[in-house]
Amino acid sequence: MVDINWALIAPILIIEFILLLVAIVDLVKVKETNGPKWLWAIIIVLVSILGPVLYFIIGRRSR
Amino acid sequence: MQWMTLFQKELLENWRNKKWIWVPLVIILLSVMDPLTTYYLPQIIDSVGGMPEGAVFEIPEMEPAQVIMMSLSQLSSLGVLVVVLVLMGTIAGERKSGVSELVLVKPVSYMNYISAKWVSYLLLVWVSLFLGLLVSWYYINILFGTLTIGEFLTVFFFYGMWLTLVVSLTIFYNTVFKSAGLVAFFTILTIMVMSIITQIFQHVLDWSPNNLSSYILESLSSGEISSELFATAGVTLILSILLIFLSGLIFKRKEMAV
Repeated sequence: MVDINWALIAPILIIEFILLLVAIVDLVKVKETNGPKWLWAIIIVLVSILGPVLYFIIGRRSR
Repeated sequence: MQWMTLFQKELLENWRNKKWIWVPLVIILLSVMDPLTTYYLPQIIDSVGGMPEGAVFEIPEMEPAQVIMMSLSQLSSLGVLVVVLVLMGTIAGERKSGVSELVLVKPVSYMNYISAKWVSYLLLVWVSLFLGLLVSWYYINILFGTLTIGEFLTVFFFYGMWLTLVVSLTIFYNTVFKSAGLVAFFTILTIMVMSIITQIFQHVLDWSPNNLSSYILESLSSGEISSELFATAGVTLILSILLIFLSGLIFKRKEMAV
């Protein structure tokens, strides 16, 4: 089997997880988004890295 | 003091819309991705089915300097895109939603308004770049070999100049167009045109900002910072300040006209 040093990969996974968490918390708190909220929830959770980033760039309604 | 107030408003806003959290994280991921995938390339090839029987594929030994340049090239494409997307609505969006009117109805200098935005975003971008390169540097030292602190700081400082220009360019287009999409489009277009022009007139444009990366690589392999690198960084900085000054002027005229 492929041996991978998990100590090296772990920080990446943690960063990915923080990104996801921040996006979800923000999504729950925010009143309105561009487009339906449930759709953003799916995108954030399912599309790793790109999902939260897309949400922050286009999903958040500034005001 | 007025400048400080505007500056704090920008910092607070960027904190509230979580830019201070996600931009650094994304930049870190971008700069770490390439060193890691390069290191694990043999395993990755194995796990997707491996090489055909008998095929020999020598994976070249990577120098630490080459690997950090990989991080930079990732930042130059996707990193620049992220910076542009983050900045595209900063003035254009405020004008659309009317926030800038709320701010500018008070006796606020246009120059202060623009430069406060500029400095607050520069701070965000430089901090993100520092964290990204720091993590990348850490991985390179573990996986590929040593890169000295001096080399790390050289890469960080001179590459930061390039991102400074990108920030200034985006703010400049922010004052020209009212739509965030147009701002992003023209910024990317300008960067692409600049790189084409630099390639065509290579013999004349020694100090074009687009050459920063190649001079950085040169200085990493030669071990000393060339005068070209300093000159290019100087040109980049002057261009950025000119752009900000121009945006102040344009913004003033536009707001007067409205």
